[in-house]
Amino acid sequence: MLEVSGLSAGYEGNDVVKDIAFHIDPGEAVMIIGSNGAGKTTLFRSVIGLIAPSSGEVRFQGEDITGVPAQRVVRRGISFVPAERHLFPRMTVLENLSLGAYPKRPDLETMTLVMDLFPRLDERRKQTAGTMSGGEQQMLAVGRALMSNPSLIVLDEPTTGLAPKLAAEAYEALGVLRKRGLTVLVAEQQVPLAMAFTDRGYVLENGRIRTEGTSAKLAADPDVRRAYLGIA
Amino acid sequence: MIANVLDGIVLGLQFGLLAAGLTLVYGLGGVLNFAYGQMAVISAMVVVFAIDAGVPALPAVALGLVAGGLLGLLLDQTILRPVYRLQGEARVLLSLLLTLGVAFIVDGFLNWRYPLKALSLFIGGGPVEILGVPMRRGSLVASAITLVTFAALFAFFRFSTLGRAVRSVIEDEEGARLVGIDPARMMRLILIVSGVLAALVAVTRSMVVPVDVQAGFSITVFALIVTVVGGLGSVAGALLAGLILGIVNVIAADLIGTFMSLVILLGAAAVTILIRPSGLLGVKE
Repeated sequence: MLEVSGLSAGYEGNDVVKDIAFHIDPGEAVMIIGSNGAGKTTLFRSVIGLIAPSSGEVRFQGEDITGVPAQRVVRRGISFVPAERHLFPRMTVLENLSLGAYPKRPDLETMTLVMDLFPRLDERRKQTAGTMSGGEQQMLAVGRALMSNPSLIVLDEPTTGLAPKLAAEAYEALGVLRKRGLTVLVAEQQVPLAMAFTDRGYVLENGRIRTEGTSAKLAADPDVRRAYLGIA
Repeated sequence: MIANVLDGIVLGLQFGLLAAGLTLVYGLGGVLNFAYGQMAVISAMVVVFAIDAGVPALPAVALGLVAGGLLGLLLDQTILRPVYRLQGEARVLLSLLLTLGVAFIVDGFLNWRYPLKALSLFIGGGPVEILGVPMRRGSLVASAITLVTFAALFAFFRFSTLGRAVRSVIEDEEGARLVGIDPARMMRLILIVSGVLAALVAVTRSMVVPVDVQAGFSITVFALIVTVVGGLGSVAGALLAGLILGIVNVIAADLIGTFMSLVILLGAAAVTILIRPSGLLGVKE
């Protein structure tokens, strides 16, 4: 579904990620793990077109989308939920969700799905996004991303700033979406949660992919356990 | 006192309309358009020439509005192109310098070729009494047009998908891109809207006093003051600040003298920046 090869990207001529290759098959859940500053966010931003890669190729459903700007990538079926969420703070929950369907009018079926998934949003339809708690904002960011009916959803550290209970709930919601056939790519620092949720994973270190494998295999890897699970 | 407040409201609506076109462009794209007043003046001249050529007043005004929109589009497609490549402060500064250059060229040309031209859309008939105060018909028609324009702007931004898309770019440009909105297209649209608003400023103003070829810079300066007080990017802020400053201006002119009213307006803007840097209704950075 998504194939990335030889991808290098960064800011002002300095590549933060170098020669990245990974792929996702339809229906899979894949994680990218790595410490702070490993390049996860830069990698995602270059894949979905918020920054142009300096070299390499990104293919989605067989088509070359390298360097296609983010506003056009989303219409091809990839939704991105950034760690900072980038909601519209002075707009209501409903307005935020409606814009997720842009340029179409929101369809009732998707709206119902989102409201069922996150009943908190249903209760707070008229509240402005900027006045909500971190957990609610995260729900809204995911909800907004779902409104365009994507086939792939990319989440950058969806549990940032969330209490453990809320973080677990966020992954429960993602699990529901997977059952409905959504393909998921997630970057995470809370590695145990992501490992339990995903099929496969890649470990990003200093801008390069260091190792990869099924999530079960990575969970058993002594280096990964030491670095990301805090187990000696 | 009632007369002062009513006159203040008439002036305040003018101020609000003035600021609306400037504040939207700044809030959306970080572009400070110093040729805004000149866009209004050129549109006014289009109306003047159309009327001189025998076109009836209403179609001539329509031509002026179209001209305003085209001027906005022209700015977007020409001198603002290098501006769009920059971000943040550099973008504001370059837009300010380039549009200031355009303003000087336009002013120079108009003063050289048509120094005595002015648009005056005089509306006949005696004064109409409102709350016991006789008001000129021109003031009332201008105010009515301004109110309708604000109602249309509010409806557009609140209820239409396109209007919401524009607001989303003002609130969070990256968030807007992530839902599929192209900020560059929204900017083009808003520059066209801004041009039409500039033309409307000239048309409504000319119902109260003649708009001559020298009016450009004072329009821009007043628009800037009201924009700062109202908050960058907020149409409601522009209207609110316009009304407050309009009433303050009329009362100050009455009590102290016209010469001091601009100083008092600038003072109000300075105090607003000190107390509320984002303006009355501006988006907080």
